[in-house]
Amino acid sequence: MLALQLLVNGLVTGSALGLVAISFSLIYSTTKIFHVAHAGVYTMAGYVAWSLASRGMPDVVTLVVTVAACMAMGALIQHQLYARLERRRATPLVVLIASLGALAVMQNVIAAIYSPNILQFPVPWGSQMVVLGGVRLTWTQILTVLASLAAYGATVWFFHRTILGKQIRAVASNPFLAEITRLHPQRVYIIVVGIGSAIVALPGILVPLDLGLQPYSGITPLLTATIAMIAGGIGSITGSFVIAVGIAVLQNLSLLVIPGEWSIGITFFIFVIFMLFRPTGLFAAAR
Amino acid sequence: MDFLFSYIALAEVYVLLGLSTNLLVGIAGIFSVSQAAVFGVGAYIVAQLLMTETMGFVPAMLVASLVCIALNVLVTLPSLRVSGDYFVVTSFGIQLLATAVFINWTQGTGGANGLPGIPPPDLFGVMLETNAQLVMLTTVSVGLGCLAFWLIMRAPFGRLLRAIREDELAVAAVGKGVLQAKVSAAALAGAFAGSAGGLYATFLSFIDPVSFDLDASILLLTMVVVGGARTLAGSIIGPFLLLALPQVLTFIDIPTTIAASARQLIYGVLLIVFMLFRPQGLAGEKL
Repeated sequence: MLALQLLVNGLVTGSALGLVAISFSLIYSTTKIFHVAHAGVYTMAGYVAWSLASRGMPDVVTLVVTVAACMAMGALIQHQLYARLERRRATPLVVLIASLGALAVMQNVIAAIYSPNILQFPVPWGSQMVVLGGVRLTWTQILTVLASLAAYGATVWFFHRTILGKQIRAVASNPFLAEITRLHPQRVYIIVVGIGSAIVALPGILVPLDLGLQPYSGITPLLTATIAMIAGGIGSITGSFVIAVGIAVLQNLSLLVIPGEWSIGITFFIFVIFMLFRPTGLFAAAR
Repeated sequence: MDFLFSYIALAEVYVLLGLSTNLLVGIAGIFSVSQAAVFGVGAYIVAQLLMTETMGFVPAMLVASLVCIALNVLVTLPSLRVSGDYFVVTSFGIQLLATAVFINWTQGTGGANGLPGIPPPDLFGVMLETNAQLVMLTTVSVGLGCLAFWLIMRAPFGRLLRAIREDELAVAAVGKGVLQAKVSAAALAGAFAGSAGGLYATFLSFIDPVSFDLDASILLLTMVVVGGARTLAGSIIGPFLLLALPQVLTFIDIPTTIAASARQLIYGVLLIVFMLFRPQGLAGEKL
């Protein structure tokens, strides 16, 4: 019974993690930037939502404003930081250091404003329990799974069925050719980072709704998500999502034998195995 | 006077760490946020060996350096074989894993409370107890470190590393072992960081996980970025400047609750500003 509960918990955290992985994968496979500051956008989402919710905003308004704020922040980072560095022909190392700087700035601005302590969402329905076939779930957890699956489906649809999605994939596969066909890679990059940041706002709100907010908690999910992206095959949306769910399930099931504080070890172990035996990932062919 | 001594000694420990980070990030061009983890491993090993009276200070330092070399080789070999971005993930992973070990492995590391009462270092039977003696020790060690760094940079090996940073493909084309050179650079960086850890532990006689977390790694990166990459002067200027920063901050009236975040915030801003406007730092070469 405990195993079943852990399995379900894994599916819940996994679906949220899957969205982080998708959003990072989109940004990384298109801009080729290892966008560490994404963890900052993820953290920011929770705090923006918390501020609005604790001022009595309706939930829908909170959601829309938070997603918009994250989108704007992502676009700002791309436009003001990465694009500037690109114009100066900065090496990937320089871009990465700047991104880490942006992450440090965001995390610590949040910590200075809201204090580094855990904050709980003032949402009463979020922690109400439902028992489904012997498994206890909160409404937040059910919402997390539904919203994540919907967002996953929407992302896949967007990138394969819409013009803009196809343009983004064109730029991702060959920026030079895309520029010749007047696609303006730099503009597409801003759009992609914006979309990625909007997607990451969802897990950014839903996970703290369940577990509470902390300013420095973005790095671990981002790291797990990047591992899922690599193991799933860079550029494959489905691959990242599936592997993210798999990692979260494994992490949760491992709680049966290993205490929770070592779960980062499990994640990392999975990464090392992939790196040694299948560095291109499971779903790599689909590009 | 004691205050000045401890500032100098600590800054010198960080100069050793700066040299280590500079070798890895500046010269070999490998982005790493796990430098503080390696530093911590060195510190805990020397602390344990001295506290259990297994051996004297000099052999303990040797053991710590060897372990840190082995650790860095083990960490870099599988990931650099694939690509630089895989090492970014690896270094984040190692840093988070190391912090988990430092905090949770209570028997070996004292957990979050740290290890108090580390005995002072001894050199060939002489106990170094006063601050003046300890400063002499760190100064001599840093002198040796700087000499080694300077010699390495002049040696063919140093030129090989510079060449790799400029154009990896060209270096591989003339038949030099790129992976081997990078892993050797990482090994050297490990030796520097490990011995810095030993000096740090014996100088403070107390260590805890906070000194070796991700924030500490970011601080190390900031030191190299501000001081300047790839030069001896840069690795010396950075630590001395940035360690003075907390003292300067005490003059400005910042509430103590946000002092830590404010400090990290400044590091983040420095990273961004230097990457945008002066990637070579104060006294370095182009990063």
